[in-house]
Amino acid sequence: MKNTTLENNLYLPKTGAQKFKAVILNPYGHFLLFGVLMFIVLLLRMSGLVQYSFVSALGNTMIYSMVALGFCLLLGYSGLASLGTAGFMGLGAYVTAYFVSDLGLPYLLVFAIAAAASILVGVVVGFISLRIEGIYLAIITLGLSEILVNVFKAAESFTGGSSGKGLLGLEFFGIRVSQEMGFVMVTVVLVLLMSLTLNIINSPTGRAMLAMKNSTSAAQAMGISLLKYRLLAFVLATLYAGIGGIMYMTFVQYSKPEIWSIALSLNVLSAIIIGGSRSIWGTLAGTLIIFGINTMFLQNIEFFRTNPNFIYIFTGLLIILVVMFFQGGLAQLFVMLKLFIKKKIRQFKEYRYGEENVE
Amino acid sequence: MQPYLQMVFSSLTLISVYTLATMGVVLIFKTSFTTNFAQGSIAALGCYIAARVALSLQVSIWMATLIAVFIAFLIGIFIDFVIFRQGKNVNALGKQIITMGLVLMILGIIPTVFGSLTIQIDRFFTGTLDFALFGMTFTVTKHALFCFALATLILTAIFLALKFTKWGLGVRATASNEKVAQMMGINTKVITAMSWAIAAGLGTVAAIMYGSGQDLNPSFMGGVQVNAFLACILGGLSTFYGPIVGAVLIPVFSNIFRYNFSAWADVIVYALILIVILIKPLGIFGKKIAKKV
Repeated sequence: MKNTTLENNLYLPKTGAQKFKAVILNPYGHFLLFGVLMFIVLLLRMSGLVQYSFVSALGNTMIYSMVALGFCLLLGYSGLASLGTAGFMGLGAYVTAYFVSDLGLPYLLVFAIAAAASILVGVVVGFISLRIEGIYLAIITLGLSEILVNVFKAAESFTGGSSGKGLLGLEFFGIRVSQEMGFVMVTVVLVLLMSLTLNIINSPTGRAMLAMKNSTSAAQAMGISLLKYRLLAFVLATLYAGIGGIMYMTFVQYSKPEIWSIALSLNVLSAIIIGGSRSIWGTLAGTLIIFGINTMFLQNIEFFRTNPNFIYIFTGLLIILVVMFFQGGLAQLFVMLKLFIKKKIRQFKEYRYGEENVE
Repeated sequence: MQPYLQMVFSSLTLISVYTLATMGVVLIFKTSFTTNFAQGSIAALGCYIAARVALSLQVSIWMATLIAVFIAFLIGIFIDFVIFRQGKNVNALGKQIITMGLVLMILGIIPTVFGSLTIQIDRFFTGTLDFALFGMTFTVTKHALFCFALATLILTAIFLALKFTKWGLGVRATASNEKVAQMMGINTKVITAMSWAIAAGLGTVAAIMYGSGQDLNPSFMGGVQVNAFLACILGGLSTFYGPIVGAVLIPVFSNIFRYNFSAWADVIVYALILIVILIKPLGIFGKKIAKKV
């Protein structure tokens, strides 16, 4: 077998142009760019150019994006449906609130505890998923979420019951966490999660999950352990949701049991379907549409401000249209656009330089 | 013993509501192969229509109910025709998402059409009834008794229709295998449309039973809907009667536990459902359909 050294490798960039392209197209670079963009928005806010509500909505959208990314791994790559996202988020939020407010533990420790709790729940759901399939599994996860919400309402000493629980005295390395600081933390966590998701998707783990989604029998025949990857998928999804809950508590600093309703779970599901369940940027775009457009943009349009109900009608209609006509979601739309532009460029080149000169 | 039996009688309204709502969900699941997340919203819409009709046209609650059910039929057919007929290429998950979009749309439509003032709807009967059974006395509201009787009547009619009419045969055939049913000459389009219409009607009646005597808000059927889904799972979606049994068990046990454990009653009921499903993954009455790979 021929040894491939670095010099012989055909795929490494050689010319300056190729190297430049490699850097620009690096997906991790894109995530970093996104994070930088968010910082810029925060700076704009601090200098008064951008409204507070815009930044608040943006923060909320980023938090829901984290949850949606986990769901993306679960549904888009493993083919498993779960409607329990809201309850798992709430778990992360309440654990954070309790351990910080009541017990006064340092933030990183609380983060770890809440993440561990989410992983535990994820393992439980994963084991359940081995026994139950399809629509039954989806509704059982819904039942789990309802159990969690009812526990939130009933365990008043831990969660403050129906009157909600606030987060008091949150400090990170000795710095008091304000809204701006919370926004920064949310951005950092989101960028990290996006990179993690991309790593998972492009790894043997991701391919195993995809194999499991397409055919459980074939995957097993290929030596992929259903137990391991189903558990992993649910643990990841629940972990992401839990982290979303932790960041929710960090940013919003208040929670009520009613927030974690089935409506929230369904909205997250709609977000990834609209965005494209296999694409990271698509998931972000979908979350933006469902959770962000309302407070970030439509509020500025007079019509929507006086008739807030039209926002619901608009969003609902959008969901229906996207599902009916763009099954791959926004990601598919984007790919179609890209191919269309490439085709046009090629046609232009053929016209300009003659057909034989175009590669 | 008395408190527990009393709990059963207090649950009569809830039993009626849940069984009707569950029947609606089951019908749509069996014929359109999608879980209808909009069942609660469509039901709420029907209830609002009934309340507004009763208010504006000054008719009795009975007339209002009939009119609302009729309009709900039309709405159901409309939804099936416009949305599901056009979206022929949508897979099962997509159909569920469409129903979610419907939920949002109806959530916006209700306040737009009916205004944001709270609206109320009257009970069918007022007053309570005391009676003695096995030497113990029980109290039941007349509303509850009537709802129970009405629900039993409607469900019996539907089950008889499923067993003896051509439509029922068509529904069972479509539920079994849609493609083959089409090949056998069953007009699945009509079957689906009628199922949506009936489901909308059932939801409306359930909503009127549930919402009477209280202030209505557009999402007041949310809790009922979640419990309807759980009842479907508990009873198993392989049969038509399984979910109905589930829909009876859930409110009864929920109320019984509430007597002893108050705040934790719902948690216990859901946990029990989870355990039952783990033991019998396809529901109490579920039948496993073996598929060739």
